[in-house]
Amino acid sequence: MAATVRLPGALRDAAGGETKLAASGATLGELIADIDRRHPGFAERVLDGVGALRSYVNVYIGEIDARTHGGTSAPVPDGAEVMVIPAMAGGADVAPPRSRAA
Amino acid sequence: MSGRLVLPQALRDEIVAHARAEAPKECCGLVAGRAGRATRVIRCTNASPTPEVRYTIAELRRVVEIEDAGEELVAIYHSHPRSPAYPSPTDRREAHWPDTTYVLVSLRYDVPVPGGKGPFGPELHGYRISDRDAVRQVTLEP
Repeated sequence: MAATVRLPGALRDAAGGETKLAASGATLGELIADIDRRHPGFAERVLDGVGALRSYVNVYIGEIDARTHGGTSAPVPDGAEVMVIPAMAGGADVAPPRSRAA
Repeated sequence: MSGRLVLPQALRDEIVAHARAEAPKECCGLVAGRAGRATRVIRCTNASPTPEVRYTIAELRRVVEIEDAGEELVAIYHSHPRSPAYPSPTDRREAHWPDTTYVLVSLRYDVPVPGGKGPFGPELHGYRISDRDAVRQVTLEP
């Protein structure tokens, strides 16, 4: 199964600076392994120590969020566009003020 | 890596207007541009379950749309309704875009303060946050 992988943002430096590349695999895990063969270290950037997607790495297979469809076991249809993108998150994390009323 | 971003006043105003509209929740969005010059603001949805203190940009696909349009993602913005326009520990911990400017807008002095002073208006600053948690200020030029 061949797919086009889009790598916006910081993950592209783990794939030789490519923003779009072709990769093959029947599942997301196989797809990541295929990229890692050409760009060693890529898998480590997107997978944690037990081989699951890192918490801040989002993967969309077409319209599907891979995290809620099996993670690395998610199937990759032939011709799919796969987007691998780091999260954009944060926040002040300051608790809202409590009412001054006694 | 540039330590400057041209962010015209009209776009700053747009970011501040978004922050005011969402307060007391945090707002968030993207800024597209070319060659270090911002050209448009894209408001996004804050998908965090605790939007008063956190943000999570829901529309990540917009980044690919920006690139397909021949533009670049030049900034990610969000607001701090009650705290300074400086990356919090959470902002630093969850920053995974070291080559993109993080624009923060604070509304802490955008309302009258006890004693009748103010409002002094919003604050808006830009930063780069590296994977090593380091924060470096980015000069925002008009």
